Amino acid sequence: MSIRILGVAIFVIAALYTWQAGTYAITFGDVLGPTVFPVIVGIPTMILSASLVVFPAGQVDWPAPQRIWRQLAALAVLVGYTMTLEPLGFPLATFALVALIGIILGGAPWRAVLLGAVMAPALWALFDQVLGLPLDFLGELFVAD
Amino acid sequence: MEILSLLGQGFTVALSPLNIGLLLMGCFIGTLLGALPGLGPVNGVAVLIPLTFAFGFDPTSSMILLCAVYFGCMYGGRISSILLNIPGDEPAIMTTLDGYPMAVQGQATNALAISGVASFVGATIAVIGLSLFAPVLARAAIHFGPADYFALYILAFATIGGIAGVDPRKTLLSALIGLMLATVGIDPISGVPRYTFDSFHLFDGVEPIVALVGLFAISEILMLLEKEFKDRPKAIPVGSWLPQWGAIWKTRWAMLRGSGVGFVAGVLPGAGASLGSFMAYVAEKQTSNKKGTFGKGDPRGVAAPEAGNNAASGGALIPMLSLGVPGSGTTAVLLAMLISLNVQPGPLLFERQPDLVWGLVASLYMANIALLILNLPMIGIFTRLMMTPTWALMPIVAAVTFVGVYSISNSIFDLEMMVFFGVLGYVLRKMDVSLVPLVLGLLLGGDMERNLRRAMSISDGDWSILIASPISISLYILTVFFLALSVWIAVRDHRQAKSERLTEG
Repeated sequence: MSIRILGVAIFVIAALYTWQAGTYAITFGDVLGPTVFPVIVGIPTMILSASLVVFPAGQVDWPAPQRIWRQLAALAVLVGYTMTLEPLGFPLATFALVALIGIILGGAPWRAVLLGAVMAPALWALFDQVLGLPLDFLGELFVAD
Repeated sequence: MEILSLLGQGFTVALSPLNIGLLLMGCFIGTLLGALPGLGPVNGVAVLIPLTFAFGFDPTSSMILLCAVYFGCMYGGRISSILLNIPGDEPAIMTTLDGYPMAVQGQATNALAISGVASFVGATIAVIGLSLFAPVLARAAIHFGPADYFALYILAFATIGGIAGVDPRKTLLSALIGLMLATVGIDPISGVPRYTFDSFHLFDGVEPIVALVGLFAISEILMLLEKEFKDRPKAIPVGSWLPQWGAIWKTRWAMLRGSGVGFVAGVLPGAGASLGSFMAYVAEKQTSNKKGTFGKGDPRGVAAPEAGNNAASGGALIPMLSLGVPGSGTTAVLLAMLISLNVQPGPLLFERQPDLVWGLVASLYMANIALLILNLPMIGIFTRLMMTPTWALMPIVAAVTFVGVYSISNSIFDLEMMVFFGVLGYVLRKMDVSLVPLVLGLLLGGDMERNLRRAMSISDGDWSILIASPISISLYILTVFFLALSVWIAVRDHRQAKSERLTEG
């Protein structure tokens, strides 16, 4: 079933992609223009994905619901990091990232928090101070313009 | 003797203090990444690429660092295979078969030493092969025109999934998705923005580095969360690093045979180190398993796959450097870095940037010596570091991944793209869709389109130019042959699986 859904998803995307390619104008002196290559790519994609819908192959074992929750939690932490990195600054955001991912991966909470508390400033010092990649110590929230 | 003088020139590049430092660092990091279960060469190199990028090393130094990591991973993978019965990375799976039984029988020191020396032999033979064959292949490829390159890329996509196992449709789809992603951005020839959804972030296209770090590193974290967290078994203690040299000497033929088989597997398109070690083990078992000792701790069963996977990883560099077409996941990732540094691998690389090619080759000879030292007398460091638990390791990897990608362009959008590709990579991996063709499509798509359009401009719109040269015709014939072979194998496996199910029921 999952494979069929994947096939349908790819088919729809490829169809939109091919249709969109037709709208790009061909300029003078460029024989193929920006249209032809996407069409060459899009049409076999539609054929192959359609064949996956009709003749699916392979079984997919999705993890148990409880594991999926764990993955979603980790994903939320990763997305959260992209949102908090600039407002909070590198050390604070990274502390949260390391501690939370550590807990989700089954580490004892106090150990994971300790690891985050040690690693976040250590990584900041390593990258910003030693290796010279600029990373904000304090984020936009704390620094007035 | 031309090669020797070029190699000598390479050594003067490789012996600069910066390059030696990077080489040693790469060997150490690589061995560690290889030894840690859960992180393999693809993820390891993918995580490190943005960092080398951010430090602004020149292409030669970056390649030296990352190839040292790549080779180091191949050496390191065996340590946890032997001591924990958990392969440190995918190519080291075969080493668990005889390595762990040897360790259980109190032969851990010998097993580590045999596999270390076998890695050295395999990798060195591969680097010698690289010095000899890559220039020859590059010289032949210099006659390629735009239409021939287009044909070569088609061949690369048809074969990258390999001829073993999965449904070829999924492999092709993966490559096509990569090609679709490659067309995102402003078309360099006509200046038309394509598939950008009017977002200026996408005008430059999908940054391959960001995509592949997400595909390989972030999806690995999601994969890991699926598994049961068990306490790692206790490692078998290693008394001393001094092995019995006689035991190593006895496996010399297994090492040489394994290196040969692995090297050939590595050069072939679509095969990587995993297939190299698998084929080396199977071949060795067929020749030497007279008394049924394989799988019960036969030293030759440790030597052959280790020589095989190291020889294959070196061999895989040949098509990547001389044709610009990688044969395995890690070489695809290395190609991504070269392209991002504005170095186009391929036949012209040998002409235009001999310092890069020969500096790299020379440093690989040195890397093997450094790795032999790290992996024999200094093995104790790695057996201790290897026990770092996953819950502590992966968050740090995640943090380093974010730092690396963020430091390329200080863009939060890149971080979001990376997470997006992580989810995409996870879903595709669950569906048994290999990610390597996707990366390859994303990397080569632009060039493939440019060659097609150049060829069509030359012929003024006549499609027959695509099959006008003997080179392109033979490449298409090879493509059809490979596709037919993989379809045949897939159908056969499908039938077999069905009949097995019937007999079970």
